[in-house]
Amino acid sequence: MIMQIRIKYFLSGILILLAVISGSTKALAQNATDFRFNEILVLNDSNYVDDFGEHSSWIEILNTSYSSVNLGGCYLTDDLSNPTKYWIPTGDPATSVSPRGYIVFWADNQPTRGIFHLNFKLENAKTIALFDANGKTLIDKLDIPGDQTTDVSFGRINDNSQKWKKLEHSTPGANNDHNRKESAGEKFVQMDPYGLGMTMIAMFVVFSALAILYIIYKNIGRFFIRRSGSVKKDFTTKSKRPVEEVMSGEVNAAIAMALYLYQNETHDYENTVLTIQKVSRNYSPWSSKIYTLRKTSR
Amino acid sequence: MGTFFEFISEHLMQFLQFTAFANLTVGHVIMICIGLIFIYLAIAKEFEPMLLIPIGFGILIGNVAFAPGYKIGVYETGSVMNYLYFGVLQGIYPPLIFLGIGAMTDFSALISNPKLILIGAAAQLGIFGAYCSALALGFSPTEAGAIGIIGGADGPTAIFLSSKLAPDLMGAIAIAAYSYMALVPVIQPPVMRLLTTKKERLIRMKPPRAVSKVEKVVFAIAGMLLTTFIVPSGLPLLGMLFFGNLLKESGVTKRLADTAKGPMIDIVTILIGLTVGASTQATTFLTLKSVGIFALGAASFVVATFGGVMFVKIINLFLKEGNKMNPLIGNAGVSAVPDSARVSQVVGLEYDKTNHLLMHAMGPNVAGVIGSAVAAGILLSFLM
Repeated sequence: MIMQIRIKYFLSGILILLAVISGSTKALAQNATDFRFNEILVLNDSNYVDDFGEHSSWIEILNTSYSSVNLGGCYLTDDLSNPTKYWIPTGDPATSVSPRGYIVFWADNQPTRGIFHLNFKLENAKTIALFDANGKTLIDKLDIPGDQTTDVSFGRINDNSQKWKKLEHSTPGANNDHNRKESAGEKFVQMDPYGLGMTMIAMFVVFSALAILYIIYKNIGRFFIRRSGSVKKDFTTKSKRPVEEVMSGEVNAAIAMALYLYQNETHDYENTVLTIQKVSRNYSPWSSKIYTLRKTSR
Repeated sequence: MGTFFEFISEHLMQFLQFTAFANLTVGHVIMICIGLIFIYLAIAKEFEPMLLIPIGFGILIGNVAFAPGYKIGVYETGSVMNYLYFGVLQGIYPPLIFLGIGAMTDFSALISNPKLILIGAAAQLGIFGAYCSALALGFSPTEAGAIGIIGGADGPTAIFLSSKLAPDLMGAIAIAAYSYMALVPVIQPPVMRLLTTKKERLIRMKPPRAVSKVEKVVFAIAGMLLTTFIVPSGLPLLGMLFFGNLLKESGVTKRLADTAKGPMIDIVTILIGLTVGASTQATTFLTLKSVGIFALGAASFVVATFGGVMFVKIINLFLKEGNKMNPLIGNAGVSAVPDSARVSQVVGLEYDKTNHLLMHAMGPNVAGVIGSAVAAGILLSFLM
């Protein structure tokens, strides 16, 4: 009883701990830590135009995770001493970024033009940073090099890269690597056009996986057989019973009779008590065959 | 008055344009015939009725030639059938079926004689035979991978993999896989007879030992961890399979196991069968590719049977007399639980009325389920 209560307390403790952890994660604006700066354009003269038809600097942010994450509630700034400079409004579905998706902000110092227009410009900025909803946790920071070229964006070589460079093509809202990529399957078949490589590798892996299972189970089986054997051995040695090699039919019959009598004597008389349970069948005329079907003519 | 009749006749004509008769094509008629054959085979011949009835009726539903644009068809976003088809497209139903399979499968035969596991690996040769052939026929790598899995003889795995690799071909692949699974008693025996001698067919195997509950519980946990650590992409299928088995073997979650192997698998089977059947609209299904898929599917079952039977023969070369395995259980490595194990039993009894192979064949049979899920995981990780 005490043991059960302890187990209950233990499980309750784990549940509370999990609830606290999940709660604290929510406090950090879902998985906002998955966001990264991906591309920026500081000097926009004839590059992309915003929804007001103007050329402004822009910042592209990438959701590196494989689930939708909302950026609402986080902060963007060009001044690390003022991390809460621009608050990204919450409750707007437009700030939800799809898995591996992008979101673009216009750094035009025109915050009255909508939630994607920031209250600072990039022309004189040295750094930009993204802070979490608590305004303290730094999610990502980018030091902007001074030698920015007009209409040439600065971004990661590809979406997972740590390396940044001036990009030949500006790609706001898209992957920075615009070259055609071959799928994994196409690459595989280039090296293995007849499928023999795939067959060999795959059969090897399937065999390995099941062979490991076989080896483990062979040994587990042996262990259990040995254990059951040793239990029998212990039983026979402790009680020091002589091993009877052959038992006659009479002996077997006597043992069976003794067991039968023993079972009869110890039998619970409850099984002679009959319990009659009423089986009710409620009549319903809707499916009655008497009223709804005519007799088949013979 | 004349204008009124004109109005009536005009709208009657308009209505006639909406009926299936106006939109019917030869393709629809062919598909409806195929659906009727499936239903006939299920009811009259009792070939896999649990699958062929929902699929056959689904084919009928999918080939009622409706006018497009009214949210009726399985491929029209927002239609009821489209919502139900979502579970197929996103690979939701197959793992749920695997949960039920796990909850109803007894791995005792496999645990008592672990070397039977390897037969389940050898029979996966059919998958890769079909993959190579599909590449040679000009299918793209992802399509070839999806077609190859037909050789695994496992419907849910075929649907799961094709939904990821080649969603366009999923209807044809699923229909081919289930059709050939139903035809296992026809396809496999000639191959088995061809590859074995009379002496080999008479081999008697040692009866399996009793397996303790602890062993079964350990099998479910260790099996999941081992296979998914090697092929994590097989996790949705393997994880659910072993989880279902643990529900059964733990002995303390009987209600959950009963639900998994009873009402839940029944519901999902109905949904998967009906929607896969309905996805065979003549307009998308009747293509040369579908013909190729059916041909490759048949070949893959033959190769898989070959792989299983030959593997047992090779292993027998290294086993002592008395420990040898009957090669007639090799065919059971292709999954198709429990039909292929039943084929081993039937063919075995033809040569020796007292040599029951069913309990031995169940080992490679369930190993085949694990093997095909592992193979699907490998194809996913290489091709996706």
